Amino acid sequence: MREFALALMYSGMLTVPPTVATFDHLLDWYLFFGVGAAVVVIGMLVTFVILYRDKGDNKPLPEHKTEGWKIVLITVMISISILAAAEYQTFASFSNIETPSQCSMVPDPCINISVLGFQWGWQFTYPNGKVQLTTEDQPLTVPVDKIILLNITSRDVFHSFGIVSLAVKEDAIPGRYNTLWFNDTNLGLVTMAIRCYELCGAGHATMVGNLSVVPYSTWQSEFGVNTTG
Amino acid sequence: MLYFFTSLYFGIIGAILALLMRVQLSVPNNFFLSAYYYDQAVTMHGLIMIFWFLSPIAIGLANYFVPLQIGAKDLAFPRLNAMSYWLYLSGGIMAVLSFFVPGGSADAGWTNYQPLAVLTPGSGTTLVYLGLVLLAASITLGSINFVVSIIWLRAPGMSLDKLPMFTWFILFTIIAMLFAFPTLIAAFALASSDRILGTVFFTSTQIQPSILWDNLFWFFGHPEVYIVLLPGFGIIANIVPQFTGRPLAAKNAILVATALVVLPLSFGVWMHHMFLTGIPVDLQGAFSIATIAISIPFDVITLSFVESMIRGRVKLLTPMLFVLGAVVLFIIGGITGVFLSSPVLDRVFRGSYFVVAHFHYVMVGAAIFSIFAGIYYWIPRFTGRMYNERLGKIHFVISFIGFNVLYFPMNFLFDMPRRIFTYPNIGNWALLNGIASVGAFIFAGAQTLLAANLLYTWFRGPPSPPNPWGSPDLEWKSQPVLTPSPTAPTDTSESPPAGGWIGQLATPASPATETHAAGAEHGEAHYSSRPIQLSFGAMIFLMGAAFYPGILAIGLMVIGGALFAVALGGWARDDLRHKFAPPPEEEGDRWPFQGVSKMKLGMWVFLSSEIVLFGSFLAAYIFIRGAAVTFPAPGSIHDIPLGTLNTIILATSGLTMFLAIQAIRQGDRRRLMQWMSVTFMLGSTFMGIKISEWVNLGSSGFTLSAPYPFNLAASAYYIIVGLHGAHVTAGLIMMVYLMKKTKDGEYTKESHEAIENFGLYWAFIDIVWCFIFPLFYLL
Repeated sequence: MREFALALMYSGMLTVPPTVATFDHLLDWYLFFGVGAAVVVIGMLVTFVILYRDKGDNKPLPEHKTEGWKIVLITVMISISILAAAEYQTFASFSNIETPSQCSMVPDPCINISVLGFQWGWQFTYPNGKVQLTTEDQPLTVPVDKIILLNITSRDVFHSFGIVSLAVKEDAIPGRYNTLWFNDTNLGLVTMAIRCYELCGAGHATMVGNLSVVPYSTWQSEFGVNTTG
Repeated sequence: MLYFFTSLYFGIIGAILALLMRVQLSVPNNFFLSAYYYDQAVTMHGLIMIFWFLSPIAIGLANYFVPLQIGAKDLAFPRLNAMSYWLYLSGGIMAVLSFFVPGGSADAGWTNYQPLAVLTPGSGTTLVYLGLVLLAASITLGSINFVVSIIWLRAPGMSLDKLPMFTWFILFTIIAMLFAFPTLIAAFALASSDRILGTVFFTSTQIQPSILWDNLFWFFGHPEVYIVLLPGFGIIANIVPQFTGRPLAAKNAILVATALVVLPLSFGVWMHHMFLTGIPVDLQGAFSIATIAISIPFDVITLSFVESMIRGRVKLLTPMLFVLGAVVLFIIGGITGVFLSSPVLDRVFRGSYFVVAHFHYVMVGAAIFSIFAGIYYWIPRFTGRMYNERLGKIHFVISFIGFNVLYFPMNFLFDMPRRIFTYPNIGNWALLNGIASVGAFIFAGAQTLLAANLLYTWFRGPPSPPNPWGSPDLEWKSQPVLTPSPTAPTDTSESPPAGGWIGQLATPASPATETHAAGAEHGEAHYSSRPIQLSFGAMIFLMGAAFYPGILAIGLMVIGGALFAVALGGWARDDLRHKFAPPPEEEGDRWPFQGVSKMKLGMWVFLSSEIVLFGSFLAAYIFIRGAAVTFPAPGSIHDIPLGTLNTIILATSGLTMFLAIQAIRQGDRRRLMQWMSVTFMLGSTFMGIKISEWVNLGSSGFTLSAPYPFNLAASAYYIIVGLHGAHVTAGLIMMVYLMKKTKDGEYTKESHEAIENFGLYWAFIDIVWCFIFPLFYLL
């Protein structure tokens, strides 16, 4: 699903939502460091196996120091620098996954939708008080190019609300309200975009929902607070 | 070795469950297993593999080889070891039995996230929980035994710097177990009491019980990963030099890194499992840094394994192949772990197959491959025969390929949730899952080669040279008997004439004698039937508790309780009659604990795990107090003056117990008896007041079914104070036993260890009360 969406994005047909951009940017860094480190270390291992394999000669081996604190120190230094660089990138993108600051401003330009997890489905409460349960033709409907703030909780057990195509996920916990935000920049319907990511009983696999992104005016007339009257 | 084979048996059960899941997931929209059975399979696969296979198989190897490696005759407390094994088996029986009760087994995932797990109907889940409590008790006893053995039973000359790496890593593992498992007991005891007694720790919606569970579970759960992994690393570090022809690179750095960084830090990273529970961003950052920091010692360890080949002569025999495989898989699993340490990336990876791939690379790849290496490496020592090298190599190649075909595709399934029993045909899910399922069968099929090789070695293998790998370690200085009887695998070795295994040893203790050779009176300790009676008594009692209420439940509880009591009484009687005389203690290398006796060391180790146990319960209580918006005010429920009086009584009993110890230190048995009697009276008075308080509270409506917040306060009060009361009662029973022995004229000025140790225990109980009293009565 996401691969397909990504392929479209990179071909210029779709734009990349900011949460996805943050994730992709960070993932690129981690892949760069991670794959790099794996290739180097596994490469060393394979090289040493080939270089120093038992060739059947009985030449005496050179004397070995048992301790190589210098090498240990170098290992630690390299590890720390790579890990610190990766962690720095994580911290740099942290601000992007927090609630956007403009949501606290008045008038509030962010759209608040309450999400209630239950066994087994999701219930959305829109700004105009409209309540909808996830079904095949009742997607989570959001306006395009707007910051959407989801306030997530659960009615019964531990769920986890995730829209992986938007790189967002947050646990839905009874008695607790967690928030996440996204800003979908592409119009359209994404089927099965919403999934539960914590085992919540027999219906866990079917706790899916669609995501529909519509123009703001359409959305406003059906779900928004009518400011004019 | 009984341990080893039992764990293999549980491993097969876990593997069958895994294969069932892979069949179900092999194609989309499959209904081979319904969600009901799939959830049970996924849960019990995790629990059985982690608790009844991975940890015990390493402990099984350790049980056999740690005493050999340190030159001890056996572990420090043979009966404790038997007790540990039977408790482990009893817990396992309960877990497996749970499949056959109405409602089926536990099905909330091995993490048992609450409140789902306590709300699951049926007694299967309770059976599993109580089985886990037995298992954790087994682990705690086993840990005490290993710690004391490794620091106290080393042969002369076996100083710490000569300790083989496997033994070192078992010591590290055991220490982690000692401090992690009490929290597991606390978590599952609270959850079980919710299920059986109706307490409200995880059902009260007012206190965010999911978060309480997450904290308790993962405080245990993360160290558990290292508990699974470290024995494997010990095996690698132990055997690599024999296959590279050069010493282990940076050996001391590995030890320092593990002891000073991995062990303490493993208890400080648990919240990385909770990044998305809504914890503050600062906490996420802190735990992200801690998590990423714990990878640094592993970088050192991994690279040192790799460096150990430089300018060596690498022999690619089966054990070494498995070592290399384990290291490669650990590198992959470790690096995906670094990905997961980022709270931002976790927004996509959490709860997905990426996580599944990660921990299987670590816990199956690194841990199991290195244990396979250990099996091939040590099987000549165990059977006196050599395994089939060609078959071993084929086993490695197919395992390694099968493993990667199985788990590597899961890295790309980062958008697929874990633990869904079926999935629609979207994206590449069908393809990747299909590949993984094929891999599962390749990997599982490869293990039949291991079984074949083990059987071949056992019955047909060519005799192995005494030290096939040229190892300097002590286990190879003694020889197994060549034709072992498969029915009695543990009794196959004989003590050779003691030989100097390291030149400078003046009087080497005859290393590596097993039970038979160690002398009848010592060996007999193994054959005491008390541990099995105790364990099965506890098991039957807890089974009854799981089925509670009902006539069957009460019957089982009565039978189990009676068996337990009879066994306990029998054990005490055996001791009073000196049926099992302890073997004479030999001089050994005990630095830095020369001055401490074996029993006292055991008691200290036990108390340190008790601290964590009470600490976990009290931490849970403090969490509840913090999370509950309203809570009964101090003084409104508990009688503070009465509580204060009781506190003074218990504190005084601590003083009188001290005077009792002072008396016997001066050899005055009569005064010992007097002071012990006073202590006993004070302790009984404490319990008496306690019981009257409970009766009053119960009759005044302070019960589990009271309205919120009283039900919550009652749950915490009855369970935690009750746990302390149970400790006091156990202390009183022990005191009766000690007084009987005193009356028989047992203790003298020189020999009164039991009194001293009991004094420690009693003081500990007093101190715990000093925390409980203010927390429950005054605040």
